[in-house]
Amino acid sequence: MAKKPRHKLTRAERSEAAVGYAFVLPYLVAFVIFTGIPFISAFLMSFVNIKFISKLDNLKFMGIDNFIRIFTTQTVRDALFRTFIYSLIYVPVIMVVSFVLAYLLNKGVYAVKPIRSMVFLPYVSNMIAVAIVWQIMLGPRGPLYAVQKLFGAEQPLIPLLSPQWALPTVVLISVWKSIGLNFLTYLGALQGVSQDLIEAAEIDGANKWQQITNVVIPSVSPTTFFLLISSIITSLQNFTVIQGLTGGGPGESTWVMSLSIYNYAFTKFDTSFAAAQALLMFAVVMVITLIQWRGQKKWVNY
Amino acid sequence: MMNTKQKVTKWVLTIVLLLAGLVSIYPFIFMLSSTFKPSGDVLSTPFQIIPKNFTLLNFETIFKNQYFDFVQWYINTIIMTVLVLVFKYVIVTMTAYGFSKVRFPGRDAIFLVLLGALMVPSDIMILPRYIIFQKLGILNTMWSLILPSVVDVYFVFLLRQAFIAIPESISEAAKIDGCNHFTIYWKIIMPLAKASISTMLLFSFTWSWNDYMGPYLYITDIDKQMLSVGIKFFSTGAAQDYGAQMAAATLVLLPVIVAFFFCQRYFVEGVTSGAVKG
Repeated sequence: MAKKPRHKLTRAERSEAAVGYAFVLPYLVAFVIFTGIPFISAFLMSFVNIKFISKLDNLKFMGIDNFIRIFTTQTVRDALFRTFIYSLIYVPVIMVVSFVLAYLLNKGVYAVKPIRSMVFLPYVSNMIAVAIVWQIMLGPRGPLYAVQKLFGAEQPLIPLLSPQWALPTVVLISVWKSIGLNFLTYLGALQGVSQDLIEAAEIDGANKWQQITNVVIPSVSPTTFFLLISSIITSLQNFTVIQGLTGGGPGESTWVMSLSIYNYAFTKFDTSFAAAQALLMFAVVMVITLIQWRGQKKWVNY
Repeated sequence: MMNTKQKVTKWVLTIVLLLAGLVSIYPFIFMLSSTFKPSGDVLSTPFQIIPKNFTLLNFETIFKNQYFDFVQWYINTIIMTVLVLVFKYVIVTMTAYGFSKVRFPGRDAIFLVLLGALMVPSDIMILPRYIIFQKLGILNTMWSLILPSVVDVYFVFLLRQAFIAIPESISEAAKIDGCNHFTIYWKIIMPLAKASISTMLLFSFTWSWNDYMGPYLYITDIDKQMLSVGIKFFSTGAAQDYGAQMAAATLVLLPVIVAFFFCQRYFVEGVTSGAVKG
């Protein structure tokens, strides 16, 4: 692009540029209105003291007070912690299981296409609709309940109603829902792994496990890197999953940041505090991505 | 030729993966079979895959109840989704063309800014967007769902990759023949990138059809609601009528599942051959 030093655009280049802007203009307008302005205003809001959306009088600069409040407010601090636990279960489980499934499928099985479709199906389904199905399946007298009874459980566990089990259950259902995309992405990457490389390793006496850890995993590391970051972001976008399955309960046991942000923004009208919480989540994603970005040089092979 | 040991391994792996697949689709089997059962039979043990007392009563409960207009939600969701697809078909592809086939100052810098937006979690926008929709007068209308969905950075990125993969010589030849950029875009690039564009439309269809947060936050009138929110009302309202709840879930899932089965190729190829291989 910038090979030549700055020069005046020729007429042809000017008209080309005009066409270019015309092509991207509608999108850029939408981008500015629906992403750019919202992002910047959320950023600005989090440093002032807006309560209620429309009242802008008595506007005061608060510095980082709203952010400090996140850590001094018990319910928000707990929500932050639960969000952390949520991601801590979600990300490793979805990464490992999707890789293992893709690896096994790629090794050569019968019925590749049906299996592929079965794993991917939940991804295209409506979370609220499947949440209703899960609630019934895991609920009182549902199949899970019946199985536990069968094994002689006195008081069968109803996971979504149990303070200890609700959060992990929600996370696993969310993994079930989203795994298809990771799985297919890994499948695509595994199909690109050079067969020669694996055979060479085999000739050198590497066993199956060594072939996987020394050849296959390094070969798909760019995909792992991409999926890792996108899975972390997905794990934070859990509003629909939780609203569908538990609504934050029982008690507060699945009350996470996405619900907290919504609650402060739309129920308590504590606008600036909600914005600060959202911004904190964004900052976390940024920091994780940057760390990964720097770290990738060590483990990602392009 | 495969020896016996390899054959056994292949069969074992197949069975293991089929079991995993079965776990994955079990909720759908449960839902589908419960749809055609009287509510009392839904939780009967042992579980009947083929309903013993086959009934269509659950659909009657849905369509004939006096509280919710399920059909209206269905129509709203169809109109909204179709409009999203029309807008994205034109705007996202034009944008991808602009960023891949036309040269203009600042092109790469602007594109980097767009990519940065991929990292912004949607939670951060919910409140400012509410205010903007209010100012634009589109709050509580389906436009508050349609217009923002046009800002799909992910598919601008993927389609740009697909367009770049189409050799520049084709565009050059067309230019010599007197085609302008718009003709090249519409008559040459769009048909050549049909597979990628189909992938975008399919994914966008499922995203819009299944979106819950948008209608939940920005649509207040119950007769303007979308299916995702509607079915939640319905399941809370229909308390213990499990059969009706399952039938409602089936109706919501039906279009995406049908689309999925007929267009699997585009879903699968779109992801596996995407730009993510690195």
